[in-house]
Amino acid sequence: MGKAFDPALIFEFLPKLLAYLPVTLFILVAALFFGLWLALLIALPRLYKVPVLSQLAAIYVSFIRGTPVLIQLFLVFYGLPAFLQLFHLDVSRANPLFFVIATYSLSSAAFFSETIRAAVNSVDRGQIEAAYAAGLTGRQAFVRIVLPQAGMIAFPNFANSVIGFLKDTSLAFSIGVMDMMGRGQTLISATAHALEVYIGLAIIYYLVVIVLEKGFVRAERRLQRHERKWASA
Amino acid sequence: MIQLQNIRKSYGSHEVLKGIDLTVNKGDVVVILGPSGSGKTTLLRCVNFLERPSDGQVTISGFTVDCKQPGKQNVLKLRRKTAMVFQHYNLFKHKTALENVMEGLVVAQKLPKEEAKQKSLDVLEKVGLSDKIHHYPSQLSGGQQQRVGIARALALSPEVILFDEPTSALDPELVGEVLAVIKKIAREGVTMIVVTHEMGFAREVANHIVFMDGGVIVEEGPPDEIFSNPKEERTKQFVRRITPEWSYVI
Repeated sequence: MGKAFDPALIFEFLPKLLAYLPVTLFILVAALFFGLWLALLIALPRLYKVPVLSQLAAIYVSFIRGTPVLIQLFLVFYGLPAFLQLFHLDVSRANPLFFVIATYSLSSAAFFSETIRAAVNSVDRGQIEAAYAAGLTGRQAFVRIVLPQAGMIAFPNFANSVIGFLKDTSLAFSIGVMDMMGRGQTLISATAHALEVYIGLAIIYYLVVIVLEKGFVRAERRLQRHERKWASA
Repeated sequence: MIQLQNIRKSYGSHEVLKGIDLTVNKGDVVVILGPSGSGKTTLLRCVNFLERPSDGQVTISGFTVDCKQPGKQNVLKLRRKTAMVFQHYNLFKHKTALENVMEGLVVAQKLPKEEAKQKSLDVLEKVGLSDKIHHYPSQLSGGQQQRVGIARALALSPEVILFDEPTSALDPELVGEVLAVIKKIAREGVTMIVVTHEMGFAREVANHIVFMDGGVIVEEGPPDEIFSNPKEERTKQFVRRITPEWSYVI
Protein backbone atom coordinates (compact mmCIF):
# COMPACT_ATOMS: atom_id res chain seq x y z
CA MET A 1 0.00 0.00 0.00
CA GLY A 2 1.18 3.51 -0.76
CA LYS A 3 1.36 6.43 1.60
CA ALA A 4 -1.40 9.00 2.18
CA PHE A 5 -2.42 10.94 -0.95
CA ASP A 6 -0.53 14.21 -1.27
CA PRO A 7 -1.65 16.39 -4.23
CA ALA A 8 1.39 18.66 -3.91
CA LEU A 9 3.56 15.73 -4.95
CA ILE A 10 1.91 15.67 -8.38
CA PHE A 11 3.47 19.03 -9.16
CA GLU A 12 6.77 17.90 -7.79
CA PHE A 13 6.71 14.81 -10.02
CA LEU A 14 5.53 16.55 -13.19
CA PRO A 15 8.89 18.09 -14.20
CA LYS A 16 10.73 14.86 -13.37
CA LEU A 17 8.38 12.92 -15.64
CA LEU A 18 8.40 15.59 -18.32
CA ALA A 19 12.17 15.27 -18.60
CA TYR A 20 11.52 11.88 -20.21
CA LEU A 21 8.84 13.05 -22.64
CA PRO A 22 11.49 13.34 -25.40
CA VAL A 23 12.23 9.62 -25.05
CA THR A 24 8.54 8.78 -25.46
CA LEU A 25 8.25 11.09 -28.46
CA PHE A 26 11.42 9.68 -29.96
CA ILE A 27 10.02 6.15 -29.78
CA LEU A 28 6.81 7.36 -31.38
CA VAL A 29 8.45 9.29 -34.21
CA ALA A 30 11.01 6.61 -35.01
CA ALA A 31 8.37 3.88 -34.98
CA LEU A 32 6.09 5.94 -37.22
CA PHE A 33 8.90 6.63 -39.67
CA PHE A 34 9.93 3.01 -40.07
CA GLY A 35 6.38 1.79 -39.68
CA LEU A 36 5.09 3.86 -42.59
CA TRP A 37 7.75 2.65 -45.01
CA LEU A 38 7.24 -0.90 -43.91
CA ALA A 39 3.47 -0.41 -44.23
CA LEU A 40 3.88 0.64 -47.85
CA LEU A 41 5.99 -2.45 -48.49
CA ILE A 42 3.32 -4.65 -46.93
CA ALA A 43 0.45 -2.90 -48.69
CA LEU A 44 1.95 -3.01 -52.20
CA PRO A 45 1.87 -6.77 -52.77
CA ARG A 46 -1.68 -6.86 -51.49
CA LEU A 47 -2.73 -3.97 -53.73
CA TYR A 48 -1.16 -5.55 -56.79
CA LYS A 49 -2.24 -9.03 -55.70
CA VAL A 50 1.27 -10.44 -55.97
CA PRO A 51 0.99 -14.19 -55.35
CA VAL A 52 2.65 -15.61 -52.19
CA LEU A 53 3.83 -12.18 -50.99
CA SER A 54 0.28 -10.94 -50.66
CA GLN A 55 -0.73 -14.02 -48.64
CA LEU A 56 2.31 -13.58 -46.40
CA ALA A 57 1.43 -9.94 -45.88
CA ALA A 58 -2.14 -10.89 -45.00
CA ILE A 59 -0.97 -13.43 -42.42
CA TYR A 60 1.43 -10.90 -40.93
CA VAL A 61 -1.26 -8.24 -40.60
CA SER A 62 -3.69 -10.72 -39.12
CA PHE A 63 -1.12 -11.91 -36.56
CA ILE A 64 -0.21 -8.40 -35.43
CA ARG A 65 -3.83 -7.39 -35.16
CA GLY A 66 -4.63 -10.52 -33.22
CA THR A 67 -1.96 -10.26 -30.52
CA PRO A 68 -1.48 -7.69 -27.74
CA VAL A 69 1.35 -5.25 -28.31
CA LEU A 70 2.80 -6.12 -24.88
CA ILE A 71 3.32 -9.70 -26.02
CA GLN A 72 4.78 -8.50 -29.34
CA LEU A 73 7.22 -6.46 -27.29
CA PHE A 74 8.43 -9.53 -25.43
CA LEU A 75 8.46 -11.64 -28.57
CA VAL A 76 10.79 -9.14 -30.22
CA PHE A 77 12.84 -8.61 -27.07
CA TYR A 78 13.54 -12.31 -26.60
CA GLY A 79 12.94 -13.51 -30.14
CA LEU A 80 15.02 -11.08 -32.20
CA PRO A 81 18.35 -11.85 -30.42
CA ALA A 82 17.64 -15.59 -30.76
CA PHE A 83 16.84 -15.13 -34.44
CA LEU A 84 19.92 -12.99 -35.14
CA GLN A 85 22.05 -15.50 -33.26
CA LEU A 86 21.45 -17.80 -36.21
CA PHE A 87 23.45 -15.33 -38.29
CA HIS A 88 26.04 -14.96 -35.52
CA LEU A 89 24.90 -11.49 -34.63
CA ASP A 90 24.79 -10.78 -30.93
CA VAL A 91 22.25 -8.10 -30.05
CA SER A 92 21.36 -9.35 -26.59
CA ARG A 93 23.17 -6.42 -25.04
CA ALA A 94 21.74 -3.80 -27.36
CA ASN A 95 19.89 -0.83 -25.97
CA PRO A 96 16.30 -1.90 -25.15
CA LEU A 97 15.17 1.23 -26.99
CA PHE A 98 16.16 -0.57 -30.18
CA PHE A 99 13.76 -3.44 -29.44
CA VAL A 100 10.98 -1.05 -28.55
CA ILE A 101 11.33 0.88 -31.79
CA ALA A 102 11.53 -2.38 -33.74
CA THR A 103 8.35 -3.66 -32.12
CA TYR A 104 6.34 -0.52 -32.60
CA SER A 105 7.53 -0.21 -36.21
CA LEU A 106 6.49 -3.79 -36.94
CA SER A 107 3.22 -3.32 -35.16
CA SER A 108 2.25 0.06 -36.59
CA ALA A 109 3.23 -1.13 -40.06
CA ALA A 110 0.51 -3.76 -39.96
CA PHE A 111 -2.16 -1.25 -39.01
CA PHE A 112 -0.97 1.41 -41.43
CA SER A 113 -0.77 -1.06 -44.29
CA GLU A 114 -4.47 -1.75 -43.87
CA THR A 115 -5.19 1.97 -43.81
CA ILE A 116 -3.10 2.51 -46.93
CA ARG A 117 -4.69 -0.41 -48.72
CA ALA A 118 -8.20 0.76 -48.01
CA ALA A 119 -7.36 4.33 -49.00
CA VAL A 120 -5.66 3.40 -52.26
CA ASN A 121 -8.55 1.14 -53.19
CA SER A 122 -11.00 3.92 -52.53
CA VAL A 123 -9.35 6.30 -54.98
CA ASP A 124 -11.68 6.60 -57.96
CA ARG A 125 -10.65 4.31 -60.81
CA GLY A 126 -11.32 7.20 -63.20
CA GLN A 127 -8.39 9.12 -61.72
CA ILE A 128 -5.99 6.39 -62.77
CA GLU A 129 -7.56 6.12 -66.21
CA ALA A 130 -7.19 9.86 -66.69
CA ALA A 131 -3.53 9.61 -65.72
CA TYR A 132 -2.95 6.76 -68.18
CA ALA A 133 -4.84 8.61 -70.90
CA ALA A 134 -2.56 11.61 -70.35
CA GLY A 135 0.44 9.38 -71.00
CA LEU A 136 1.64 8.77 -67.44
CA THR A 137 3.33 5.47 -66.66
CA GLY A 138 1.90 3.15 -64.01
CA ARG A 139 4.42 4.34 -61.46
CA GLN A 140 3.87 8.02 -62.25
CA ALA A 141 0.12 7.56 -61.96
CA PHE A 142 0.54 5.81 -58.60
CA VAL A 143 2.98 8.30 -57.11
CA ARG A 144 1.54 11.54 -58.51
CA ILE A 145 -2.18 10.87 -58.62
CA VAL A 146 -3.17 7.91 -56.46
CA LEU A 147 -0.87 8.28 -53.43
CA PRO A 148 -1.64 11.94 -52.70
CA GLN A 149 -5.36 11.28 -52.88
CA ALA A 150 -5.04 8.11 -50.82
CA GLY A 151 -3.03 10.07 -48.27
CA MET A 152 -5.86 12.52 -47.84
CA ILE A 153 -8.39 9.74 -47.47
CA ALA A 154 -6.19 7.90 -44.98
CA PHE A 155 -5.20 10.89 -42.91
CA PRO A 156 -7.97 10.94 -40.26
CA ASN A 157 -7.51 7.22 -39.73
CA PHE A 158 -3.75 7.67 -39.57
CA ALA A 159 -4.10 10.44 -37.00
CA ASN A 160 -6.21 8.22 -34.78
CA SER A 161 -3.62 5.45 -34.98
CA VAL A 162 -0.80 7.82 -34.04
CA ILE A 163 -2.63 8.79 -30.87
CA GLY A 164 -3.19 5.13 -30.09
CA PHE A 165 0.50 4.36 -30.61
CA LEU A 166 1.60 7.22 -28.39
CA LYS A 167 -0.32 5.63 -25.55
CA ASP A 168 0.97 2.15 -26.45
CA THR A 169 4.55 3.35 -26.00
CA SER A 170 3.80 3.45 -22.27
CA LEU A 171 4.41 -0.30 -22.31
CA ALA A 172 8.04 0.13 -23.31
CA PHE A 173 9.15 0.30 -19.67
CA SER A 174 8.27 -3.36 -19.30
CA ILE A 175 11.45 -4.33 -21.15
CA GLY A 176 13.45 -1.76 -19.23
CA VAL A 177 13.31 1.39 -21.33
CA MET A 178 13.54 4.59 -19.35
CA ASP A 179 10.74 6.61 -20.92
CA MET A 180 8.14 8.66 -19.06
CA MET A 181 6.43 5.54 -17.80
CA GLY A 182 9.77 3.99 -16.79
CA ARG A 183 10.68 7.13 -14.89
CA GLY A 184 7.29 6.94 -13.20
CA GLN A 185 8.04 3.41 -12.03
CA THR A 186 11.31 4.52 -10.43
CA LEU A 187 9.54 7.40 -8.71
CA ILE A 188 6.99 4.99 -7.31
CA SER A 189 9.70 2.68 -5.99
CA ALA A 190 11.50 5.61 -4.43
CA THR A 191 8.55 7.40 -2.84
CA ALA A 192 5.67 4.86 -2.72
CA HIS A 193 3.33 7.58 -3.99
CA ALA A 194 1.89 5.64 -6.90
CA LEU A 195 -1.36 7.56 -7.34
CA GLU A 196 0.39 10.92 -7.63
CA VAL A 197 2.77 9.53 -10.25
CA TYR A 198 -0.05 8.07 -12.32
CA ILE A 199 -2.05 11.29 -12.10
CA GLY A 200 1.02 13.16 -13.28
CA LEU A 201 1.48 10.72 -16.17
CA ALA A 202 -2.19 10.94 -17.11
CA ILE A 203 -1.94 14.73 -17.26
CA ILE A 204 1.11 14.65 -19.51
CA TYR A 205 -0.23 11.99 -21.91
CA TYR A 206 -3.52 13.78 -22.12
CA LEU A 207 -1.92 17.14 -22.88
CA VAL A 208 0.31 15.63 -25.57
CA VAL A 209 -2.72 13.99 -27.17
CA ILE A 210 -4.60 17.29 -27.16
CA VAL A 211 -1.69 19.03 -28.86
CA LEU A 212 -1.47 16.24 -31.44
CA GLU A 213 -5.19 16.39 -32.10
CA LYS A 214 -5.07 20.13 -32.67
CA GLY A 215 -2.16 19.69 -35.06
CA PHE A 216 -3.95 16.94 -36.96
CA VAL A 217 -7.08 19.02 -37.39
CA ARG A 218 -5.01 21.80 -38.90
CA ALA A 219 -3.08 19.46 -41.15
CA GLU A 220 -6.29 17.83 -42.29
CA ARG A 221 -7.82 21.15 -43.18
CA ARG A 222 -4.76 22.04 -45.19
CA LEU A 223 -4.64 18.66 -46.96
CA GLN A 224 -8.27 18.86 -47.92
CA ARG A 225 -8.23 22.41 -49.17
CA HIS A 226 -9.22 21.14 -52.61
CA GLU A 227 -12.50 19.90 -51.16
CA ARG A 228 -13.53 23.36 -50.06
CA LYS A 229 -16.23 24.85 -52.18
CA TRP A 230 -14.81 28.34 -52.39
CA ALA A 231 -11.40 29.28 -53.64
CA SER A 232 -9.47 31.54 -51.37
CA ALA A 233 -8.76 34.75 -53.20
CA MET B 1 -4.21 8.39 -89.58
CA ILE B 2 -5.78 5.96 -87.15
CA GLN B 3 -6.53 2.45 -88.19
CA LEU B 4 -8.33 -0.21 -86.20
CA GLN B 5 -8.15 -3.69 -87.64
CA ASN B 6 -10.26 -6.61 -86.54
CA ILE B 7 -10.65 -5.35 -82.97
CA ARG B 8 -12.20 -7.95 -80.73
CA LYS B 9 -13.00 -7.79 -77.05
CA SER B 10 -14.51 -10.47 -74.87
CA TYR B 11 -15.41 -10.55 -71.21
CA GLY B 12 -15.37 -14.24 -70.43
CA SER B 13 -17.55 -15.89 -73.02
CA HIS B 14 -19.38 -12.66 -73.83
CA GLU B 15 -18.03 -11.02 -76.97
CA VAL B 16 -18.54 -7.25 -76.83
CA LEU B 17 -16.64 -6.34 -80.00
CA LYS B 18 -16.79 -8.77 -82.86
CA GLY B 19 -14.02 -7.70 -85.18
CA ILE B 20 -14.18 -3.96 -85.82
CA ASP B 21 -12.37 -2.28 -88.72
CA LEU B 22 -12.28 1.48 -88.76
CA THR B 23 -10.11 4.08 -90.45
CA VAL B 24 -9.98 7.68 -89.28
CA ASN B 25 -8.14 10.22 -91.41
CA LYS B 26 -6.31 13.23 -90.13
CA GLY B 27 -8.77 16.02 -89.33
CA ASP B 28 -11.76 13.70 -89.33
CA VAL B 29 -14.50 14.04 -86.75
CA VAL B 30 -15.92 10.56 -86.40
CA VAL B 31 -19.02 10.13 -84.28
CA ILE B 32 -19.92 6.66 -83.08
CA LEU B 33 -23.61 6.14 -82.47
CA GLY B 34 -25.53 3.15 -81.25
CA PRO B 35 -27.84 1.88 -78.53
CA SER B 36 -26.37 1.24 -75.10
CA GLY B 37 -24.55 -2.05 -74.92
CA SER B 38 -23.58 -1.83 -78.57
CA GLY B 39 -19.88 -1.67 -77.65
CA LYS B 40 -19.16 1.90 -78.73
CA THR B 41 -17.53 3.02 -75.49
CA THR B 42 -15.55 -0.21 -75.30
CA LEU B 43 -14.29 0.37 -78.83
CA LEU B 44 -13.20 3.90 -77.92
CA ARG B 45 -11.38 2.64 -74.84
CA CYS B 46 -9.63 0.02 -76.94
CA VAL B 47 -7.97 2.77 -79.00
CA ASN B 48 -5.85 3.89 -76.02
CA PHE B 49 -5.83 0.50 -74.32
CA LEU B 50 -7.86 1.51 -71.28
CA GLU B 51 -9.52 -1.72 -72.33
CA ARG B 52 -7.13 -4.22 -73.75
CA PRO B 53 -8.60 -5.72 -76.92
CA SER B 54 -8.51 -9.51 -77.08
CA ASP B 55 -7.42 -9.43 -80.69
CA GLY B 56 -6.66 -7.07 -83.56
CA GLN B 57 -4.33 -4.18 -84.31
CA VAL B 58 -4.35 -0.50 -83.45
CA THR B 59 -2.30 1.81 -85.67
CA ILE B 60 -1.84 5.51 -85.02
CA SER B 61 0.22 7.51 -87.52
CA GLY B 62 2.33 4.57 -88.56
CA PHE B 63 2.82 3.04 -85.12
CA THR B 64 1.14 -0.33 -84.77
CA VAL B 65 0.36 -2.23 -81.60
CA ASP B 66 -0.66 -5.83 -81.81
CA CYS B 67 -3.38 -6.44 -79.24
CA LYS B 68 -2.37 -10.04 -78.63
CA GLN B 69 0.97 -9.01 -77.13
CA PRO B 70 0.98 -5.25 -76.74
CA GLY B 71 3.88 -4.75 -74.32
CA LYS B 72 3.94 -1.96 -71.73
CA GLN B 73 6.24 0.38 -73.63
CA ASN B 74 4.19 0.10 -76.83
CA VAL B 75 0.97 0.83 -74.98
CA LEU B 76 2.58 3.87 -73.38
CA LYS B 77 3.83 5.10 -76.74
CA LEU B 78 0.39 4.60 -78.27
CA ARG B 79 -1.32 6.40 -75.38
CA ARG B 80 1.01 9.34 -75.80
CA LYS B 81 -0.36 9.79 -79.31
CA THR B 82 -3.88 10.08 -77.93
CA ALA B 83 -5.85 11.98 -75.32
CA MET B 84 -9.22 11.31 -73.81
CA VAL B 85 -12.18 13.26 -72.49
CA PHE B 86 -14.26 11.28 -70.03
CA GLN B 87 -17.94 11.09 -69.30
CA HIS B 88 -17.33 11.93 -65.65
CA TYR B 89 -14.52 14.41 -66.44
CA ASN B 90 -12.04 12.54 -64.21
CA LEU B 91 -10.13 15.69 -63.39
CA PHE B 92 -7.36 15.12 -60.86
CA LYS B 93 -9.20 16.09 -57.68
CA HIS B 94 -6.18 17.35 -55.80
CA LYS B 95 -4.96 19.62 -58.58
CA THR B 96 -6.18 22.99 -59.83
CA ALA B 97 -7.49 23.48 -63.35
CA LEU B 98 -4.06 24.70 -64.46
CA GLU B 99 -2.23 21.82 -62.75
CA ASN B 100 -4.62 19.35 -64.35
CA VAL B 101 -3.75 20.63 -67.80
CA MET B 102 -0.02 20.84 -67.05
CA GLU B 103 0.30 17.33 -65.59
CA GLY B 104 0.60 15.40 -68.85
CA LEU B 105 2.82 18.05 -70.43
CA VAL B 106 5.31 18.11 -67.58
CA VAL B 107 5.25 14.46 -66.50
CA ALA B 108 4.63 12.56 -69.74
CA GLN B 109 5.98 14.95 -72.36
CA LYS B 110 8.75 16.36 -70.15
CA LEU B 111 8.19 19.94 -71.26
CA PRO B 112 9.94 22.60 -69.17
CA LYS B 113 7.55 23.98 -66.55
CA GLU B 114 7.33 27.47 -68.02
CA GLU B 115 6.56 26.21 -71.50
CA ALA B 116 3.97 23.78 -70.15
CA LYS B 117 2.36 26.56 -68.16
CA GLN B 118 2.14 28.88 -71.15
CA LYS B 119 0.68 26.16 -73.31
CA SER B 120 -1.84 25.29 -70.59
CA LEU B 121 -2.89 28.90 -70.17
CA ASP B 122 -3.43 29.12 -73.93
CA VAL B 123 -5.73 26.11 -74.09
CA LEU B 124 -7.58 27.15 -70.95
CA GLU B 125 -8.24 30.46 -72.65
CA LYS B 126 -9.48 28.63 -75.70
CA VAL B 127 -12.09 26.80 -73.62
CA GLY B 128 -13.03 30.07 -71.92
CA LEU B 129 -11.69 29.39 -68.44
CA SER B 130 -8.91 31.92 -68.04
CA ASP B 131 -10.53 33.17 -64.85
CA LYS B 132 -10.74 29.72 -63.23
CA ILE B 133 -7.19 28.42 -63.58
CA HIS B 134 -6.55 28.27 -59.82
CA HIS B 135 -9.85 26.60 -58.99
CA TYR B 136 -10.01 22.99 -57.87
CA PRO B 137 -12.45 20.67 -59.67
CA SER B 138 -14.82 20.71 -56.68
CA GLN B 139 -15.15 24.48 -57.12
CA LEU B 140 -16.22 24.22 -60.77
CA SER B 141 -19.56 23.40 -62.37
CA GLY B 142 -19.91 20.23 -64.41
CA GLY B 143 -19.65 22.18 -67.65
CA GLN B 144 -16.53 23.99 -66.49
CA GLN B 145 -14.96 20.74 -65.33
CA GLN B 146 -15.59 19.15 -68.68
CA ARG B 147 -14.06 22.16 -70.43
CA VAL B 148 -10.96 21.71 -68.28
CA GLY B 149 -11.06 18.05 -69.34
CA ILE B 150 -11.09 19.14 -72.97
CA ALA B 151 -8.26 21.60 -72.35
CA ARG B 152 -6.25 18.85 -70.68
CA ALA B 153 -6.67 16.66 -73.76
CA LEU B 154 -6.05 19.46 -76.23
CA ALA B 155 -2.86 20.64 -74.51
CA LEU B 156 -1.18 17.33 -75.25
CA SER B 157 -1.44 18.04 -79.01
CA PRO B 158 -2.41 14.40 -79.60
CA GLU B 159 -2.97 12.74 -82.97
CA VAL B 160 -6.53 12.10 -81.88
CA ILE B 161 -8.81 13.07 -79.01
CA LEU B 162 -11.20 10.39 -77.83
CA PHE B 163 -14.47 11.70 -76.40
CA ASP B 164 -16.40 9.24 -74.26
CA GLU B 165 -19.95 10.61 -73.95
CA PRO B 166 -18.61 14.02 -72.95
CA THR B 167 -22.00 15.54 -72.21
CA SER B 168 -24.08 12.72 -70.81
CA ALA B 169 -23.27 13.45 -67.15
CA LEU B 170 -24.06 17.15 -67.50
CA ASP B 171 -27.12 19.13 -66.49
CA PRO B 172 -29.07 19.86 -69.67
CA GLU B 173 -28.40 23.60 -69.51
CA LEU B 174 -24.62 22.98 -69.36
CA VAL B 175 -24.50 20.72 -72.42
CA GLY B 176 -24.42 23.65 -74.84
CA GLU B 177 -21.22 25.25 -73.55
CA VAL B 178 -19.34 21.96 -73.77
CA LEU B 179 -20.60 21.12 -77.26
CA ALA B 180 -19.69 24.63 -78.40
CA VAL B 181 -16.10 24.08 -77.27
CA ILE B 182 -15.87 20.67 -78.96
CA LYS B 183 -17.29 22.18 -82.15
CA LYS B 184 -14.75 24.98 -82.02
CA ILE B 185 -11.76 22.67 -81.79
CA ALA B 186 -13.26 20.35 -84.41
CA ARG B 187 -13.26 23.26 -86.83
CA GLU B 188 -9.57 23.81 -86.10
CA GLY B 189 -8.85 20.44 -87.63
CA VAL B 190 -8.28 18.36 -84.50
CA THR B 191 -8.89 14.70 -85.24
CA MET B 192 -11.53 13.22 -82.96
CA ILE B 193 -13.53 10.13 -82.30
CA VAL B 194 -16.67 10.95 -80.35
CA VAL B 195 -19.11 8.62 -78.66
CA THR B 196 -22.26 10.60 -77.96
CA HIS B 197 -26.02 10.59 -77.85
CA GLU B 198 -26.25 14.17 -79.08
CA MET B 199 -27.76 13.61 -82.52
CA GLY B 200 -27.90 17.28 -83.45
CA PHE B 201 -24.24 17.62 -82.65
CA ALA B 202 -23.37 14.46 -84.57
CA ARG B 203 -25.19 15.68 -87.63
CA GLU B 204 -23.67 19.12 -87.56
CA VAL B 205 -20.05 18.44 -86.61
CA ALA B 206 -19.21 14.92 -87.75
CA ASN B 207 -17.95 14.23 -91.21
CA HIS B 208 -18.27 10.51 -90.67
CA ILE B 209 -20.85 8.60 -88.66
CA VAL B 210 -20.38 5.05 -87.46
CA PHE B 211 -23.47 3.19 -86.32
CA MET B 212 -22.77 0.22 -84.07
CA ASP B 213 -25.02 -2.46 -82.68
CA GLY B 214 -24.28 -5.77 -81.03
CA GLY B 215 -20.52 -5.37 -81.24
CA VAL B 216 -20.30 -4.75 -84.98
CA ILE B 217 -20.39 -1.72 -87.24
CA VAL B 218 -23.81 -1.90 -88.88
CA GLU B 219 -23.35 1.05 -91.17
CA GLU B 220 -21.04 4.01 -91.66
CA GLY B 221 -20.97 7.05 -93.87
CA PRO B 222 -21.41 10.82 -94.04
CA PRO B 223 -24.00 12.22 -91.61
CA ASP B 224 -26.53 13.19 -94.26
CA GLU B 225 -26.58 9.70 -95.63
CA ILE B 226 -26.90 8.02 -92.24
CA PHE B 227 -29.60 10.36 -90.94
CA SER B 228 -31.63 10.94 -94.11
CA ASN B 229 -31.08 7.83 -96.09
CA PRO B 230 -29.88 4.91 -93.99
CA LYS B 231 -29.56 1.61 -95.84
CA GLU B 232 -29.70 -0.94 -93.06
CA GLU B 233 -33.00 -1.70 -91.36
CA ARG B 234 -31.38 -1.50 -87.91
CA THR B 235 -30.02 1.97 -88.61
CA LYS B 236 -33.41 3.11 -89.88
CA GLN B 237 -35.07 1.98 -86.65
CA PHE B 238 -32.47 3.72 -84.53
CA VAL B 239 -32.56 6.99 -86.47
CA ARG B 240 -36.35 7.04 -86.54
CA ARG B 241 -36.59 6.50 -82.81
CA ILE B 242 -33.96 8.93 -81.75
CA THR B 243 -33.95 11.84 -84.18
CA PRO B 244 -37.19 13.70 -83.40
CA GLU B 245 -36.64 14.16 -79.68
CA TRP B 246 -32.98 15.07 -79.99
CA SER B 247 -32.88 17.29 -83.04
CA TYR B 248 -32.34 20.66 -81.46
CA VAL B 249 -29.99 23.25 -82.84
CA ILE B 250 -26.87 24.06 -80.92
